[in-house]
Amino acid sequence: MTSQTLTLRRTVISAVLAAAFPLAAGAAEPLEALQAQIEALQKQLEQLRNEVTQQRSGGASQDLAAEVSKLKQEVKSAQEWKQANTVIHLAGYADAGYTDTKNASGTFTPFSFNPIFHFQYKDLLLVEAEPSISIDETGETTVDLEYAALNLFLGDHAALVAGKFQSPIGQFRQNLHPSWINKLPSAPTGFGHGGAAPIAEVGIQLRGGAPLGAGENRVNYAVYVGNGPEVEIEDGEIEMVESEGFGRDRDGSKVWGGRIGFFVPSQRLDLGLSAATGKVAGMMESDIKRDYEVVGADFAWRPARFELRGEYVRQKVGDAAVSAAPEGGEWKAWYLQASHRLGNTNWEPVLRYGRLDTPHASGNQKQWALGLNYLFASNVFAKAAYEFNDSLKGAATDDDRLLVQLSYGF
Amino acid sequence: MNWTQSTTTRLVLVCAAIALGAAQLPAAAAQRDAAPKADFVRGAKLWASNCTRCHIVRDPKDLRDDQWIASMYHMRLRAGLTGQDTRDILRFLQESN
Repeated sequence: MTSQTLTLRRTVISAVLAAAFPLAAGAAEPLEALQAQIEALQKQLEQLRNEVTQQRSGGASQDLAAEVSKLKQEVKSAQEWKQANTVIHLAGYADAGYTDTKNASGTFTPFSFNPIFHFQYKDLLLVEAEPSISIDETGETTVDLEYAALNLFLGDHAALVAGKFQSPIGQFRQNLHPSWINKLPSAPTGFGHGGAAPIAEVGIQLRGGAPLGAGENRVNYAVYVGNGPEVEIEDGEIEMVESEGFGRDRDGSKVWGGRIGFFVPSQRLDLGLSAATGKVAGMMESDIKRDYEVVGADFAWRPARFELRGEYVRQKVGDAAVSAAPEGGEWKAWYLQASHRLGNTNWEPVLRYGRLDTPHASGNQKQWALGLNYLFASNVFAKAAYEFNDSLKGAATDDDRLLVQLSYGF
Repeated sequence: MNWTQSTTTRLVLVCAAIALGAAQLPAAAAQRDAAPKADFVRGAKLWASNCTRCHIVRDPKDLRDDQWIASMYHMRLRAGLTGQDTRDILRFLQESN
C-alpha cells in the first residue's frame, strides 16, 4: 500500500469518527479544566495542611502561654493575702465537761465557746475582741465580752491599748485562764469571778517589752488607767469586789496600776510584780468613795518538762463610815502549781494548792487539786481533776469536786 | 484635792500620756522602716523559749502564713514581746509551716 492510500484511509476514518462522535473532540477542554481544578484543590489542601500543622505547633505554644498566664494570675491571687495591708483572723477556744460535786448531783457543764476576732492593719493596729458564749443553768444563752480593744503599736517597745482589756494584775487572768492553756479544769481559788484577782478593766493601757542588757533577757511592762471595780454591798457588808470591767465610773475616780515582768530565758524563769490604786464605790452608793488597792506577785519556772508556777494577789477596800457597809475588807489569794509531762508520752499530771481569804468565813477556801491531762495535740486536751476543798462546813465551797473537761484552742 | 480638781488632774495626765504616745508615732514609723530584717534562726530560738512561758508550743503547721501574722501580734501583746522578736518568730513560723 502506498503512502497516498494510507493518508486517504486515515482521512476517511477521521471523517467517519468525527461524524459519529461529534463531542469527542471537545471533551479535552473540560478534562484539562478538571485536572486544573484538582491541582488547585491539591494546592489548597497542601496549604491547609501546612496551616493546620503550623497552627498545631504555634497553637500549642499559645495555649501554653495562656496556661502559664493563668497560673501566674492564680499564684498572684494566692500571694495577695501575704501582702494585704489588712489581715482578718479568727482564733479562740472552746470547752465542754462534767462536774460531780459532793452533796450535789453531777452535771454536764455547758459548752463554752470563746471566739477571738482579730482585725489587723499592717504592723500598726490590731483590733481584737473575745466574746464568751455559753448557756446558764436554765439553758439561756449568755454572751459576755471578755475583752475588746484597739491596740496601736507605737514602735518596737510599746503598744497603746484602748477599750476593755484583761486586768494586767498578775498572770493568771491575762495569760493563763483560757481552758486550752489552764492545766486544770478550774481556776485557782480566788482567781475566778468575784475572787481576789481583778478580772478586767475598761480604760487605756500602755504595754510592751524591751531587751534587758545585751543578752536575751527581757523586761515587759503594762501600765493602765481605768474606770475601776465596784463593790457589791449586801446585808451591811461588802459581799465582793466586782471587777469584770465597767463601762461607768460611779465614784468618778480612776484606778491606776500595772505590772512589770522579767523573763530570763537561760533559766526559763518569769517573775512579775503588780500593783494598782484608786477609789471605788458601791453599786448603790456612787457618792461614797472608798480607798482601793491591789498588790500581786507571780513567777513561773520551767526546767525541761517540769513546770512550777505560783501567784499571790491581795485586793483591799477601805472603810467608809457613812456607807451601809462601813467596814472595808481584804481579799487575798495565792496558789502554787506543779506539772510534769511524763517522758515521751502525752500524759501530764498536775498538782495545785491554793488558798483564798475573804472577810466572810463562807468565802474562805483551801484547795488541793490533783489532775491528769492527756494531750491529743498541743492545743487539744482531755483533763480530769479532783478538788479537795476545805471551807466553812455546810458551805458549797467546802464540797469536793470531780471535774472532767475537753478543751481545744484554735 | 477635791473631786473636780482630782478628775481634771487625772484627765490632763491621761491626755498627756496619749499625746506622748501620739508623738511617738512618726518615730515609730521610721523605726519600723529601718527595722532589721527578720531572722529565721533567732525566730526559732525565740519561738521555743517564749511560747512555753504560758502554753505548749504550737506547731508552725497549725496555721497559714496570714493567720500567723495576727496570732503573733496578739502574742506580742500577751507576752510583752518586742517588735523585733515578733518579726523573727513570725518569719520562722511562716517559713516552717
